[in-house]
Amino acid sequence: MTDVGLFAMFSLPFMMRALVAIAILSVAAGAVGVFINFRELEFVSDGLVHAVFPGLVIGMLVGGSAGLLPGAVIAAVLAAALFALLGRTGGSGRDAGIAVTLTGLFSLGVVIVSRSESYVSQLQELLFGRILTVTVAQLWQIAVVAAAALVIIWCARRALLFRAFDPAGFENAGLNAFRTDLALNVAVALLVVAGVQALGVLMVIAILVLPVAIARMLSRVLWTLMPIATLIMFGAGNLGLWASFEWSVRGSISASPGALIVLILISAYIVVVGVSFAAQSLSRDSTERAQVAA
Amino acid sequence: MAEPAVALNWAAFGYGGEPRVEHLNLVVPRGAAVALIGPNGSGKSTLLKGLLGLAEITSGQAVVLGSTPEQARRRVGTLPQSDARDISLPITLRRVVTMGLYRNVGPLGRIGKLGREAVSRAIERVGLEHHEHRLFGELSGGQQQRAILARALVSDPQLLLLDEPFNGLDRENREMLLDLVRTQRDEGRTVIVSTHDLEIAQRACTHVLLLANGHLPGQPGHPTAFGPLDEALTLAAVQHAFHDSTVELDQHTVTTTREIDAP
Repeated sequence: MTDVGLFAMFSLPFMMRALVAIAILSVAAGAVGVFINFRELEFVSDGLVHAVFPGLVIGMLVGGSAGLLPGAVIAAVLAAALFALLGRTGGSGRDAGIAVTLTGLFSLGVVIVSRSESYVSQLQELLFGRILTVTVAQLWQIAVVAAAALVIIWCARRALLFRAFDPAGFENAGLNAFRTDLALNVAVALLVVAGVQALGVLMVIAILVLPVAIARMLSRVLWTLMPIATLIMFGAGNLGLWASFEWSVRGSISASPGALIVLILISAYIVVVGVSFAAQSLSRDSTERAQVAA
Repeated sequence: MAEPAVALNWAAFGYGGEPRVEHLNLVVPRGAAVALIGPNGSGKSTLLKGLLGLAEITSGQAVVLGSTPEQARRRVGTLPQSDARDISLPITLRRVVTMGLYRNVGPLGRIGKLGREAVSRAIERVGLEHHEHRLFGELSGGQQQRAILARALVSDPQLLLLDEPFNGLDRENREMLLDLVRTQRDEGRTVIVSTHDLEIAQRACTHVLLLANGHLPGQPGHPTAFGPLDEALTLAAVQHAFHDSTVELDQHTVTTTREIDAP
């Protein structure tokens, strides 16, 4: 490989911390992402991501780095409850409500952050994250928040699956749709909070959506989706950290690891879509040939 | 005499205080199979929701299995309309049937050996034991309906509510589902099945409830006939229910211009 070597690179304390952050986020994003995918709630997740932004900004202004987490958690849980309420209206009403909320809150965050003196660097940090400067204390925060998201998903998994598969049957069984939606939204919001310090507001949505989208094209066995998504995310995370490190050492280009991770995930997605499309047309061709021969 | 399965005392069901179906005054005895027939908008689905406590009782009283519809819900199995299901999800038939136990075991309870045995029995009852590990989306339409019926049966309900279960099924699968409905009745369960199809009423049901639309658009639906099949299912009652003189009543289907024109 390179001058530094993969092992040596990840033995650097800041790289090791980044890797641990990626590992935690990979596991949690795999679990939460499966249900975002099943419920087709990618847009709601995007709304939550944007809604967390003003919470981060206010938290940062009030308490510095230590204020990020409480600010984000409060904003996220409020937005999760609001979106669960909007979900009751369903259809275009829900989407319009979420669009208004996400742009409104995001703008609010930008206006508040622009009042600060170190506006540009703070904005950049919040939007793109700082995975290479994650501290041990932040790692603990990420771990605790991600674990909370996992516990919620574990407790709600049956209801989430039933509701995703058959909403009419779910309602007939007397199960509570609002509580189920709220549980998923809060889990998504917590994962956004966990991921946002490392990857930034703009990148965190990718880790919720892309690994599971790829996993669903690779497997049709329910229980394998989460581990496959986790492995994909972890692999992309490793690759992104390595590429970012290499480029900054060799070429003095400081590419955001978060952005590189997202680009790697998107590349993987495109490759898997291409391969599955080719495989489908091949199998169609061979079926047609078999029919002609018969 | 055993308590009736359903007793409606001038009940009306609806949403937001507005009735969608009203003037329901009838008693369904235990072990009866009721065909619920009426045009679109006559309130068939609202009535079924009302019996589950999921639509409001806007007037009158409703007693289901001796208690309020909400309290009775755990003893009621349902087969909802199929159009809302997401058959692209990678879940097996067995997992779908297991969902029928979720409301009883709660979010953290274990399904356990008894639960797994109940799931296997329910799958056997609908004749799908050789398909239990197949993906639900890969089953035929009829097999999917039988799987959802198994999901309803897994908690051993006393009342079954089936909402348009025969829609889109081919002949063979219709026959199998008809047999299953008859079997449920023979085993003492009460069945209420909403349908457009008179063949189901004639071959699997003991009673019929005909619902008509309101006289003006937006008005709630209302019953035009209820009773044992041979008394209630008459040409006049069907014509009244469908507000249409072009109704043909033969051994198999009811055809109305209104239904053909419906999207």
